[in-house]
Amino acid sequence: MSAATLNPAAAKASAKGLRRPASLQGHERLATVVVLLLTLLLVGALVSDRFRSLGNLQNVYEQSVGLALISLGQTVVILTGGIDLSVGSLISLLSVLTSGLIDGHPERITDVVAGILLLGLAVGGLNGLLTIWLGVHPLIVTLGTGAALQGLTLLYSSDSAGSVPPSFEFFAYGRVLGMPAGATLTLLVFLVVAFLLRGTRQGRYVFAVGGDPNAATLLGLPTRRVLVSVYAFSGLCAATTALYVVSRFGVGQPYTGANYTLASITPVVIGGTLLAGGKGGVMGTLLGVYLMALLNNLLNFLDISSHYQLVIQGVIVIVAVSAFTGRRARRS
Amino acid sequence: MDSILAATAVRSQVSPAPARWLAVARRHAGICVAVLFLAAASVAAPSLFKAGNLANMALQFAPLGIVVVGQMLVILVRGLDLSVSSVMATSAVMATAFSGRDADLVWIVPLAIGLGAMVGATNGLLVTKRNVSPFLATLATMIVLQGARNAWTQGAPSGNVPPLLRALGAGMTAGIPNNAVALLVIAALTFVLLHLSTFGRRVYLVGGSPNAARLVGIAVDRVTITAYVMSGIFAAIAGLVLAGYVSVVDNWVGKNFELDSIVAAVMGGIALSGGKGGVGGALMGAAILVVLSNAVVIVGLPIHVQLVMKGFIIVLAAALYAAKSRRAR
Repeated sequence: MSAATLNPAAAKASAKGLRRPASLQGHERLATVVVLLLTLLLVGALVSDRFRSLGNLQNVYEQSVGLALISLGQTVVILTGGIDLSVGSLISLLSVLTSGLIDGHPERITDVVAGILLLGLAVGGLNGLLTIWLGVHPLIVTLGTGAALQGLTLLYSSDSAGSVPPSFEFFAYGRVLGMPAGATLTLLVFLVVAFLLRGTRQGRYVFAVGGDPNAATLLGLPTRRVLVSVYAFSGLCAATTALYVVSRFGVGQPYTGANYTLASITPVVIGGTLLAGGKGGVMGTLLGVYLMALLNNLLNFLDISSHYQLVIQGVIVIVAVSAFTGRRARRS
Repeated sequence: MDSILAATAVRSQVSPAPARWLAVARRHAGICVAVLFLAAASVAAPSLFKAGNLANMALQFAPLGIVVVGQMLVILVRGLDLSVSSVMATSAVMATAFSGRDADLVWIVPLAIGLGAMVGATNGLLVTKRNVSPFLATLATMIVLQGARNAWTQGAPSGNVPPLLRALGAGMTAGIPNNAVALLVIAALTFVLLHLSTFGRRVYLVGGSPNAARLVGIAVDRVTITAYVMSGIFAAIAGLVLAGYVSVVDNWVGKNFELDSIVAAVMGGIALSGGKGGVGGALMGAAILVVLSNAVVIVGLPIHVQLVMKGFIIVLAAALYAAKSRRAR
């Protein structure tokens, strides 16, 4: 890392970055997602009349909540230059705990939900603390904690556990003024986080730590506190995703989160946030989430099996990542 | 360099014996942790090292060992290969895709190895030419391959493993597992390649300092891609061996091997920062992991404890090595 700061090429690159307003680069990345999203909507509307119905679009909006919430936490972690590979296992653990502990009793909902949110926050914070204390790359730390969490999940229950009362379904299926409540709440959360990141000092620390951790430390920024906070936030997001999953399916399952680990990274990358940290934002991620949700929806209508959807998702990650990182490599 | 040596000398003068022991313990941190685990396990379950179980563990050792050797090569050049489990499962599915006779091996082996090489080349090209982070590149190829495999088998592969492959995977000759011979050949080949050829020296140089390697005229990209290709090929071979061992193939043969191979490599002293470690350490790590996983079952703990244990080991071992390299700096 010290080699990178001494590297004259890197210094030149950052000087170039200074001359070029960062906002323009951000808009350029957002514009890419918007264009992709519009293209997909257009193509979808042309090839499938079921796709273009308003009811369908509302369904996609409603079903994007889980991916949106988990990608939100992942974005903030990636902005600091880290990664959280434990989210999938954490969602699995918290979802079996939610339905297992509520076990059909409506009066337990408040306590359990509060407990699950706190647990998510704590596990996430632990990831952050381990990264700092041990000096190990977050990739390895969260790979390890992810394995441990998956093991704990299976120890708690190797099959779907408990159940939730019908009122719990409001998060996933509830409507307020005809609009999906959960999805609209999620949209608002994204707007709030976007504001906090751009408009507050603490938020800008996140970008500073991701841009150059050594410089951030030298400037006296609370690097450690920022890191613990972002991982704790990611854990909190995993908890809300777990609640959404239970709300949607009515029960928690021990492998329900498995696909979320890669899935949470895809929209972040498509949304133009750099994996190296320091550049990007949550609104791009939200558009990336809508893009992935619409794409899967369209593939369903075209009768393409879920197996191929997995292939397509992987290919999109490869293309998106190599497009963005390739561009960065040329610039420097 | 001199100042480091001087500092070490001063430190060992201040507190001689305990410090030296501590230094030794730190140098082999992963192994020390594992030996403690093992000692506890063998007390808790004396039958762990009985003959029958030893043979059992020996059979499980080869598939993991083969993958770890490949994983080690990738980690040596500062990479990480998460796609090994998917390559293994796909090559295992290939083994059952034909009529289940020995003659099919003429197709199965080249196809599987070709697949492994192709996946490895894709990983390597993405990492070097497109600057994609290794874990994301290999995670994505893993997912693509997984989807393709599921689409091909329609979720449930059927068919038989050729008898010759079963003999290789599960058979013993004079008390020695046949698959151990396969592992031995691969390990010896890699050892020779790493320590007696210029390619090996390039691997360590690229891992130690890619910039320096580039400056002295080494084709860094080519070395890196070769490491990924070898990891892919080894994973494909391990998949065939494992298919022979389990003899009933599903879509998830080799599940968790990506985690296991990384855990074993880290335990065996392969530095995740690249350029440090060797075949011996990799095999040692794999052996310890097999014994530990076995101990969990023998002691009578729930099988899922294995996963929790592996999670702890990888974080712990990585932390010990990180602390060591910080102190060395």
